[in-house]
Amino acid sequence: MGTRTGPAIEIAGLTKSFGRTKALDGLDLTVTPGEVHGFLGPNGSGKTTTIRILLGLLRPDAGTVRMLAGDPWRDAVALHGRLAYVPGDVTLWPGITGGEVIDLLARMRGGLDRRRRDELLERFDLDPRKKARAYSKGNRQKVALIAGLASDAELLLLDEPTSGLDPLMESVFQQCINEVKRQGRTVLLSSHILAEVEALCDRVSIIRQGRTVESGTLSELRHLTRTSIAVETTRPLTGLDALPGVHDLVLADHHARFDVDSAQLDAVVQRLSTLGVRSLTSTPPTLEEMFLRHYGDEQAGGERPVGGTVSS
Amino acid sequence: MTGAGGLLRFLLRRERFALPWWLLGAALLVLIQSTQSQRLYDTPEALAQLRQTLGGNTAVIVMSGPTRLLESIGGEVVFEIFAFVAILVALMNMFLVGRHTRADEETGRAELIRSARLGRRAPLGAALLLAGVANLAVAVLVFAAAAGTGLPPSGSLLFGFAMAGVGVTFAGLTAVAAQVFENTRAVYGAVGLAIGAAYALRAAGDVGNEALSWMSPIGWGQRTFPYAGDRWWPLLVPAVATALLVAVAAALLERRDFGAGLVPPRPGRATASRALGSPLGLAWRLQRGTLIGWWFGLFLLGAAYGSIGDTIEQYIEDNPQVAEFLPGGASDVVDAYLALTVMVSALIAAAYGVTSAMRVRGEETSGRAEPVLATATSRAGWLASHLSVALVGSALVLAAIGLGEGLAYGLTVSDAGQIPRMVAVAFVYLPAVWLVIAAAVVGIGWLPRVAAALAWAAVGYCAVIAMFADSLDLPGWLQSASPFTHTPQAPLESVAAAPLLIMGAAVVAFVAAGYAGLRRRDVGY
Repeated sequence: MGTRTGPAIEIAGLTKSFGRTKALDGLDLTVTPGEVHGFLGPNGSGKTTTIRILLGLLRPDAGTVRMLAGDPWRDAVALHGRLAYVPGDVTLWPGITGGEVIDLLARMRGGLDRRRRDELLERFDLDPRKKARAYSKGNRQKVALIAGLASDAELLLLDEPTSGLDPLMESVFQQCINEVKRQGRTVLLSSHILAEVEALCDRVSIIRQGRTVESGTLSELRHLTRTSIAVETTRPLTGLDALPGVHDLVLADHHARFDVDSAQLDAVVQRLSTLGVRSLTSTPPTLEEMFLRHYGDEQAGGERPVGGTVSS
Repeated sequence: MTGAGGLLRFLLRRERFALPWWLLGAALLVLIQSTQSQRLYDTPEALAQLRQTLGGNTAVIVMSGPTRLLESIGGEVVFEIFAFVAILVALMNMFLVGRHTRADEETGRAELIRSARLGRRAPLGAALLLAGVANLAVAVLVFAAAAGTGLPPSGSLLFGFAMAGVGVTFAGLTAVAAQVFENTRAVYGAVGLAIGAAYALRAAGDVGNEALSWMSPIGWGQRTFPYAGDRWWPLLVPAVATALLVAVAAALLERRDFGAGLVPPRPGRATASRALGSPLGLAWRLQRGTLIGWWFGLFLLGAAYGSIGDTIEQYIEDNPQVAEFLPGGASDVVDAYLALTVMVSALIAAAYGVTSAMRVRGEETSGRAEPVLATATSRAGWLASHLSVALVGSALVLAAIGLGEGLAYGLTVSDAGQIPRMVAVAFVYLPAVWLVIAAAVVGIGWLPRVAAALAWAAVGYCAVIAMFADSLDLPGWLQSASPFTHTPQAPLESVAAAPLLIMGAAVVAFVAAGYAGLRRRDVGY
């Protein structure tokens, strides 16, 4: 195993343009060894470009990129012996069987654990004798997944690895990643499936338009969002609109419904308790809401004041 | 068939760039042959003399057609060119029908189309209608090219329809093959084989038992004898055959599932063989089928050229004009002939080399290079894997040319020593062929998006310079960029090492330059 001191991936101020299109615009990303790091962002936000730069397929325009204490562009071959990659859009050679592709990729990476390969074939329920042209999208995805998971690479780069998989296979995938995590290996997981992110990821980074807009643990991120409150009190609800962090207030005498920034929740609850709470429902922010806010910020522009503490 | 009309308009639109070139090619072949023949055999005496020499020359008959055609000058044109235009038209029909039936089904495009308000038979029907339109155009253009150059109109009309008859037959055959096989390459392989068999059967029939010619669609066309009796009734044979083939294709279509063929795919290996464990193993696995096809194709071409080697001397004496096209003039005509044919074959070997080298781009743009380069495979190793197939493969293809030509020529003159001699002659072109491949590598490294166009332009340039430089009187500087200009024309000329060594050094320099470009650029764009 390589050095365990520095981060597994460290990207700062990464920029990449294709002609006039700016794909990455000062992206930052830090992945520490042993964690499963969620890499989220709307379509076209630069996730795949970032992963291709990490693979040394694309050359960065500006910024620094370090992976496993090496330079992904210069040390590509040496680094590739230590990582496994699963693309989200798998194209295979039509005349070659799935089993052959798995073996080929593993051998080119530097070796094959036949027992684990066969076990994964079993768990993912894949027929390795079919030619690639006969596979469905989900089965092509399984070929790439098994090829990646059968390796004992210390870093896994997964670019929407479960697109096209059925829920059963999705749960097999999650088991596999949890095993990888227990073995102390590192995973960078780009995904749109929020349940998957919630179940697997220790930390997440959200990017938009080639820039990192948020990074942290899921609870840290939740903290930056709003909780929905519905409350009924004995005394009339007054002074609520004056409290900081309260939004979308709908007030009717003793009833109120409103959203509150999670950071101001404590102050609001203290105020409510002085009014004699008869009933109270609090809905924590769902991951969906959280991401919709981050993904959709662009359209909302400045007209909607965001939680106040969102950085950058 | 609901919706076939609308689909046909869409197919015509998709074919608007490629189809005109096929049609133009067929018309030009007839046009050039007609003007050349009428210029060379301008008197009845010249024609009579030709009839006499060719009548006993089995090799020429094997290459061309039945001698009865030589009754008139128009028939002579048909004799010379019919089989080759027929192969071109057959290939055009194969691609037209294959592309819009099985290929669309295999890629999944047809699924989208079939989900619309469209009958099950509409895609096949539209593809066959498209082929019908194209074959009608063939008939009109062949008629125009022949009658326009002064040949009798009625014979020209028959010539055109006979050609269209070959076309529709192979369109029908491709329609059947597209139902039988599950993937497009197998369809093209089977129909390609049938085209080759049709050419070979008529050859065997024209020199031996005529019944064999009647088993070949090309033979049906030739046996209408345009300008030499104008028999119309043999046109019924392709008409009936096509109707039957289309009926069979339609019946098979009703019996099979979408995306499936009649031949169920066999399961492959569950694990990779020892050979498939490196980029090199992968590149050879991907390209071996194509290489075997080219190898046999050029072996047969060489054999065809070689088989007429000993009769060429006689031929030159009868056609002094032909000697003008041979590098050494009328002296030592056989060696000159061998030199010319090997050079033409070497140009084809260069074309093979370019298709093979361009697999690098194909892998890159399809996204299949990405998982390979994400393993511990360097870019140098990846490029080298495919390039090794291009370089070694083109050498093997050159050997096939020499082997075929040496074997066939050696048999006719009873001299086994011709085999090593002709293989050695073919290998004289190895530096030139490799230089074309190396030029393609420079394009892959520095101008990836236009690399294919540039490489094919280089092949085309070499071909034009090699074949027409003298007759078109092109200036020396224009010729000097072609490596074929600098290759000694063995066995006519003695082989000097210097130009070959210089070209070898250029190959190394070009490949290094191409790799330098690939190393510094983004992959996948």
